[in-house]
Amino acid sequence: MRLLRRLRRGQVLLLLVSLGVLVLMMLWKPYALIEGLQRGGLYALIALPMALILGVVGIINLAHGEFMMLGAYFAYWLGVYTGLDPLVAMIPALVAFALLGAATYLLTIRRALKAPELNQLLLTFGVAMVGAEFANLMWTSQPLKPHLSYVYSSMTLGKLRFGAYAFVYTVSAIVLLVLLSLFLRRTRLGRAALAVGQNPRGAKLVGIDINRTYLAIFSLSIALVGAIGAMFLTRNSVFPSAGSPYTMKSFCLIALAGIGNLPSVVWGGFGLGIAEALVLSFRGYGGWADVVFFAVLVAVILGRSYRRQTA
Amino acid sequence: MLAVSKLNHYYGKAHVLRDLSLDVGTESVGVFGPNGAGKTTLVHAIVGLVRPRTGDITFDGRSLLRMPTYEVIRSGVALVPQERELFPYMSVLANLESGAAYIPAARKGVPEALQASFEMFPILKTRTRQLAGTLSGGEQRMLAIARAMMSSPKLLILDEPSLGLQPSLVTELFHKVRDIGEKSAILMAEQNVRQSLKAVSRGYVIENGAIALQGPSDELLHNDHVRRAYLGL
Ligand SMILES: Nc1ncnc2c1ncn2[C@@H]1O[C@H](COP(=O)(O)OP(=O)(O)OP(=O)(O)O)[C@@H](O)[C@H]1O
Ligand SMILES: [Mg+2]
Repeated sequence: MRLLRRLRRGQVLLLLVSLGVLVLMMLWKPYALIEGLQRGGLYALIALPMALILGVVGIINLAHGEFMMLGAYFAYWLGVYTGLDPLVAMIPALVAFALLGAATYLLTIRRALKAPELNQLLLTFGVAMVGAEFANLMWTSQPLKPHLSYVYSSMTLGKLRFGAYAFVYTVSAIVLLVLLSLFLRRTRLGRAALAVGQNPRGAKLVGIDINRTYLAIFSLSIALVGAIGAMFLTRNSVFPSAGSPYTMKSFCLIALAGIGNLPSVVWGGFGLGIAEALVLSFRGYGGWADVVFFAVLVAVILGRSYRRQTA
Repeated sequence: MLAVSKLNHYYGKAHVLRDLSLDVGTESVGVFGPNGAGKTTLVHAIVGLVRPRTGDITFDGRSLLRMPTYEVIRSGVALVPQERELFPYMSVLANLESGAAYIPAARKGVPEALQASFEMFPILKTRTRQLAGTLSGGEQRMLAIARAMMSSPKLLILDEPSLGLQPSLVTELFHKVRDIGEKSAILMAEQNVRQSLKAVSRGYVIENGAIALQGPSDELLHNDHVRRAYLGL
C-alpha cells in the first residue's frame, strides 16, 4: 500500500496498461511473451553495466559490446584449453576483465575525461575497433559456439512447452539490478560513485578521491560485461562483430530510462524484448524487429518532450 | 595554522591573484572585496581546485600546493563553496552523511555531528528525506554549511555564505558563524562587510587580487576607505 501511494497517478496508469498488455499477450501469443522476456533479459543484463559508467563517469562507452564479445571469446578459449563450462568461466572472466577495464581506463579514458564529448565518443569507438580487430586476428571471423546440452532443457506449463534455459538472462538481469542498487546505496564506494555522478566537484569537497572512483567503476563495469559475455556464449555464437549491436541497444535503453535510473533500464529491456518478439511472431515481418527497437525509442523520447512542453 | 604566501594566479593572461599573502591562526578571519576581486580564486587555490602559478600555501606546516583536493579536505580543511555544490538527487540526510563518510577521523562521530547540525539548523531536521536539489536557496546554503561541519574541520572556509539570504537570515547566519568559530578556525570571504565584520576578529580587504588593507575588525570598521567603499558612509 505504501508503495502504491508513493507512485504518481501517471505511473499507476502505466503499470496497469503494461499489466493489461502482459495478460493479453499471455492469452494471445504466449510464445512471443516468453521469447520476449528472454531476449529482453539479455538486453537489460548487458545494458546495466553501461548505465553504471554513463551515470558515474559520464562517458558513453561505445566499446561496451566489444568487451562483451571479448568476454565470450575468453570463455570459449578457456573452455577449449581447460574444459571449463562458460558459466563457471564467468568467475575468471570477472577478474580478467576487471584488470582489462582498469588498463583501458588508465591508458585511454583517463586522458579524455576533460575532453569534449565528441572526442570521448571517438575514443571509445576507437577502443571498440581495436577490440573487434583483435578478435578477428586471434580467432578469425568464423562464428564459434561450445556444445552445451543443458541449454536445450525445456519446461511445460499447461499446454505450453518452451525452452527454459534462456530465462537465466531474465533472472540475472533482475539479480544484477538488485545487487547494483544495494552496492550504490549501501557501500562506501557505491555512495561515492553516486556522489561523483551527481556532482564531481562536490564529491572532491567531501574528501572523495574521484579519480579512484572513476577507475573502480569503469573496471567494475567491464568486469561485469566480460562475465556477461561468458553467459552470452552459452546460447549464442561469438564472432568479432557479435557485440556491436548490443552497444547500440544498451545505449537506446539507457536513453529511454534516463541516466541514473537503473530499474527502468531493466523494465525497458523487457518491454523492448517483448515488442521485438511480437513482431517476429508474425510470419514475413521478422525483418521489422530491429526497427521496432528504434521506433519505440523515438516514440518515448517524443512523448517525453511533448509532456515537457505541456507541463 | 594556515599560511598563504605570495600567491600569484592567472586565468590566461588575466592576473587575478597578485602576491597575495595572509594567515589564519585559531581565530576567525574575514576576506572582503568587491565582485571579481579574487576571493573565490583564493579559496579554491587553498583546497586545490585551482593551481596557482607561484607562491606557497601551508596548513599545519604541510604544503597544500600539490595535494589533491580530497587530501586537503581529509587533513582538516572544509569549504562551503559559493555555489554550494550539494548532491541534488540525494536526500538531505545523505548529503549530511557524505560530509563525514570519507574523512576517516570523522566517521566515528556521525551521530553527534548530525545532532549538532540539527541544533544549528533545525529546519534541516524536518527535511531529512527531501532531495537536496528541491530545497530553497537559503536551505541549500544551510545544508552546505552543515555538511562541511560534519567533518569536524580544524579550519572552515566559507565563500560568501550570505549570498541570496533574506536580511533576517543573514544576521542569524553570522551569529552561527561566530558560534562555529568557538570550535574551528574560520576563513570567510564576504561582500557584506557591515555584518560579517562582527563575526570575525580580523580581516583582509582584497582589491584586484592584492591585499589592499588588513587589521582587526574594529580597526577596519573605522577605516576611512572601508567606510566609504564598503559601508556606504
Ligand atoms: N575560470 C575562469 N576563467 C577565466 N577567468 C576567471 C575564471 N574564474 C574567475 N575568473 C576571473 O577572475 C577574477 C576573480 O574571480 P573570483 O571568482 O575569484 O572573484 P570573487 O572575488 O570571488 O568575486 P564574487 O564576489 O563575484 O564571487 C574575475 O575577474 C573573474 O572574471
Ligand atoms: Mg566569489
